[in-house]
Amino acid sequence: MAVMSLLLRAAAAWGARRAASGAAGGSRLPWLAGAARLPGALAPVRHSSSHGKRMFIIKATSFYDARFLSLLKFYILLTGIPVALFITYVNIFIGEAELAEIPEGYIPDYWEYYKHPISRWIARYLLDPPEKDYEKQMAILDIEAKKTELRMMELEARRLMRQRGDGPWYHYETPDKNLVDNSMKSTPDN
Amino acid sequence: MPEDKDWEAYKVPPTRTPVSERITSVPNPIDFIKTVFDYVVDAPVTFVREWIERQQAKNKFYYYHQKFRRVPDLSECLEGDYLCYFEAEAQWRRDRMVDQEIVEIVRERLGACKQREGPNQFQNCAKEMELLAQVTKAYQDKYGDLGVHGNARTCLMKQKHRMMEERKKQASASQ
Repeated sequence: MAVMSLLLRAAAAWGARRAASGAAGGSRLPWLAGAARLPGALAPVRHSSSHGKRMFIIKATSFYDARFLSLLKFYILLTGIPVALFITYVNIFIGEAELAEIPEGYIPDYWEYYKHPISRWIARYLLDPPEKDYEKQMAILDIEAKKTELRMMELEARRLMRQRGDGPWYHYETPDKNLVDNSMKSTPDN
Repeated sequence: MPEDKDWEAYKVPPTRTPVSERITSVPNPIDFIKTVFDYVVDAPVTFVREWIERQQAKNKFYYYHQKFRRVPDLSECLEGDYLCYFEAEAQWRRDRMVDQEIVEIVRERLGACKQREGPNQFQNCAKEMELLAQVTKAYQDKYGDLGVHGNARTCLMKQKHRMMEERKKQASASQ
């Protein structure tokens, strides 16, 4: 295509040179009164008033990119807009809590320590109360502490049994002493 | 970080803007700009805000700051009682954070005092300087060289050594 346009451009230049030499030479046929032309090289085009010459601009496809971005926007806004509307409704019509001193003799529930109504709702209905959480944490620690104690005691028992040799562990099978042949040690001069 | 709630400690003197008399007949453009701002921006925003507050006032609810109980210290825990160790450690860390914030607040007050007084700071801020010196000395004594791995146990050992040295000094001073 570039070769084609180069060819056309070279043809137009040759035609223009021919026309110039012909005009300088003298008689010219009337329908070649403009520049000499090859088919497709120079043609009069009627330009529309606002747009200019219509060009076919060759560029890489943006179809896939545009489709991806459009789908992304769609799926984000599909849940994004209802969530945003819901949160706006909660913030305007229900509003955040006000800070107050704890009244005398009143023990607040554990969700009443949060400010935003959605945080309060999550703390109340979805999460465990912090007392239960704390007890779970303490239970894990207790179990691990007991496991540690037992393991330390086992190591100590093993050490003592190995050292003293009077426990049920660390017994090794030895051959029967009746099977041992002592004939080579029976006389002192062997 | 929560802000310092005690504004009295900053002792900002009241502004003494003088009331000036008009000397020109040209009206003050600030007045015009102020009225325009009031009508264009302030009134609609205030109206919307008050409408929202009227909607929210129909069902009011409150939130509180939780007060945590004190748990037995590390020195009151039996040996091998890992749960007690854990709770004492957590409490010690919370107390250390509180002490850090206290030091920070005292430092900020000194800074505000210096900014306020300008060239008179060495005379007029003496109390704040003294307070900061005491607070930082106390913090350094208690949490000072424990390092990044300092925990309640190392802090207790440091306290023990401090008490031993104090006793030695008293014994040598009384002799």
